[in-house]
Amino acid sequence: MTKVVIMGEEIMSSVIGPTGPEQRRLANNVMKEALNRAGLPFKSISYVVATGYGRINVPFADKQITEITCHARGVASFFPDARTIIDIGGQDSKGIKINNGRPIDFVMNDKCAAGSGRFLEIIADTLGIKIEEMGELALQSKNPAVISNICTIFAEQEVVDKLAEGIPLKNLVAGILESLANRVSRMVKRLKIEREVILTGGVAKNAGMVQALSDKLGYPVSVPPEPLLTGAVGATLLGKEIAQKAKERDESPERKERSLKEIEIL
Amino acid sequence: MAEEKKKHKKRRTATEAAASIGPMVKEFISGTLRAKEEGRKVAFTFIVCLYDEILRAMDILPVWTENFAGICGAKRDAERFLERSESLGLSRSLCTYALCGIGFDQWREELGEMPPDAPWGGQVRPDMMLSSGQILCDPRNKWYQASQLYMPDVPVYNIDLPYPLYEDDVEFTDVRDYYVKHIIEELRGLVAFLEKQTGTKMDYDRLSETVDLGERTWNLIWETYDLRRAVPTPMGTGDAMNTMVPMCFMMGTQEAYDFFLGLNKELKEKVARKEGVVEDEKYRLLWGGGLPSWFALSDFNYFNSKGAVFPAETTYRMIESMYQIYMPDTNDPIERLAWRWFGYWVFWHNKARKRPGSHPDVEWLIQYIEDYKIDGIVMHEAFSCRTWHLGLIWQLNQLAKIYKPIPVLVLGKDGKKEKTNRELPSLVLESDIIDITTYSEVDTRNRIDAFIETLESVAKSKVH
Repeated sequence: MTKVVIMGEEIMSSVIGPTGPEQRRLANNVMKEALNRAGLPFKSISYVVATGYGRINVPFADKQITEITCHARGVASFFPDARTIIDIGGQDSKGIKINNGRPIDFVMNDKCAAGSGRFLEIIADTLGIKIEEMGELALQSKNPAVISNICTIFAEQEVVDKLAEGIPLKNLVAGILESLANRVSRMVKRLKIEREVILTGGVAKNAGMVQALSDKLGYPVSVPPEPLLTGAVGATLLGKEIAQKAKERDESPERKERSLKEIEIL
Repeated sequence: MAEEKKKHKKRRTATEAAASIGPMVKEFISGTLRAKEEGRKVAFTFIVCLYDEILRAMDILPVWTENFAGICGAKRDAERFLERSESLGLSRSLCTYALCGIGFDQWREELGEMPPDAPWGGQVRPDMMLSSGQILCDPRNKWYQASQLYMPDVPVYNIDLPYPLYEDDVEFTDVRDYYVKHIIEELRGLVAFLEKQTGTKMDYDRLSETVDLGERTWNLIWETYDLRRAVPTPMGTGDAMNTMVPMCFMMGTQEAYDFFLGLNKELKEKVARKEGVVEDEKYRLLWGGGLPSWFALSDFNYFNSKGAVFPAETTYRMIESMYQIYMPDTNDPIERLAWRWFGYWVFWHNKARKRPGSHPDVEWLIQYIEDYKIDGIVMHEAFSCRTWHLGLIWQLNQLAKIYKPIPVLVLGKDGKKEKTNRELPSLVLESDIIDITTYSEVDTRNRIDAFIETLESVAKSKVH
């Protein structure tokens, strides 16, 4: 998903749109939508920070900052005592240790779909349910199925086989969430987790997953009000700081040449 | 793949010495092909197996099979040899150096000539293969046995080169003599095998000269690499992945000694001019373990573009100062080799014993962090090499437990800032030595970017 946050004294507008294969060209469209919602012209935006995997494909950004730093800043704005962030998105999952809103260590899984939200999307599709239904279904289970395969494709086959064996859907879904929670918690434990632990990313909207992860870690896990936006909020706050610091020096922040056009990719 | 190969550019080096390595490696690969045509003996060999000087003293040309696989990887041309090994029934999860070498050799034997467009002329058919049992590295025992299936007339000779694993309550001196005696016997067995294969007797005076040259080269390398402590550092790990060639493949030759004399001079001049790897050195990193991805050495340049340099690495630092290694009073070159081997592998044991919770590998990191003024550690987990990569995460965890050099302020429970010390930031890259299918440049560089931002953040949090 591509997200945009526009901030003045507070958040003025936000957009969460599908990224899709054209994201490299069409970052301008989501920006236009956010500007429309805020009722602002593009020239009124004093500073633009792009983050995430697609940050280098945002031609109108003044600065690129990785999602690690942006998540740290964004989460700390909601939870000042946060020390560990777990972010499970569609493409990857990561753990971030933070102090005073700054990252001090991180781990990432960008190698295996089975440790990301993509795993849940594929399994939901296989089971013929909506991804939004998974959390509630899982919470109804008292006997989660054991999913032993650690590869998304093989786990998908395993789920199909177990469904054919007559294992109830709720148990299968709970087993899948447990499997993802296992994988992510193993990775994040490398950081020596400290409380307070915050879960972000699309998967954080899944109540079953929040529970499964909390059980695995042995800590309660908190979720921000809009867990998909914390990185974008962090990017906005960092951009705001840069612009304010420049203003304090009676200067304009260093900006790139801006254009809200599609970029050309060879 | 052709497209991939075409696009891949030569990596930028900081030193002229490192830039000269490519032609040097090409020449010693060509040299083995010429030697074979001239009827000289060539032997398949592994690096860090102690037989460098013995082979040199007997005019047997070593063919470093790991090096050839690395060249295939660096030229992004290993995939076809890896696939061939897979089709022979070998799993891709085995050592990819071995898979590449076996795939190449099987292809060459099947054709009766070099495979088409063989990298730098190809890997020659050996007269013998020298393997060596060494800790967990199973390919060092099994690779040449597998190759022998396709070259049944080529003999394999296996030597055992053990060293004691670390235990904090056991003195290695209790077992030292037993180990050294065993290694000496193994080396004498190797010499007997080589004498049989070549039909000539070992000239021990010549071996003494070669071992002496090897020991002087060890000291010279130690002194040369020590120059990298300078701020800004004149040479990084990217270059060290080149300069490991004369260290690991040419020990006991005048050429290796002369190479390091040249590097020593070049580094001294750079230090005097305060000429660093990068103009504005911001972060000094330690390459704390793991073999590099040979096809992605330009990642070191990417670090450099962010102001990060690597003044030191533990990978391919296969020497110590001979002044610090215990050597008994002996003129027997075989005994000297055995003592040098043992001394190298237990070098960090005594130091580790003095720090509770430490371990030789961890102690090595700590020493380099202090000597080279290190701000962060980078490691690489190469999935196909268990021997050198098993335990890296454990080392980082243990290091974080016992060594916290960075003073920072953290928010205490009462909301007030408290001073405490924290560990060095670290980054673990994940890929392989030569299997490019495990590598994503975008993901790797995303991790590097995030790590640089973490270093920046830690630097800002640091209490001075």
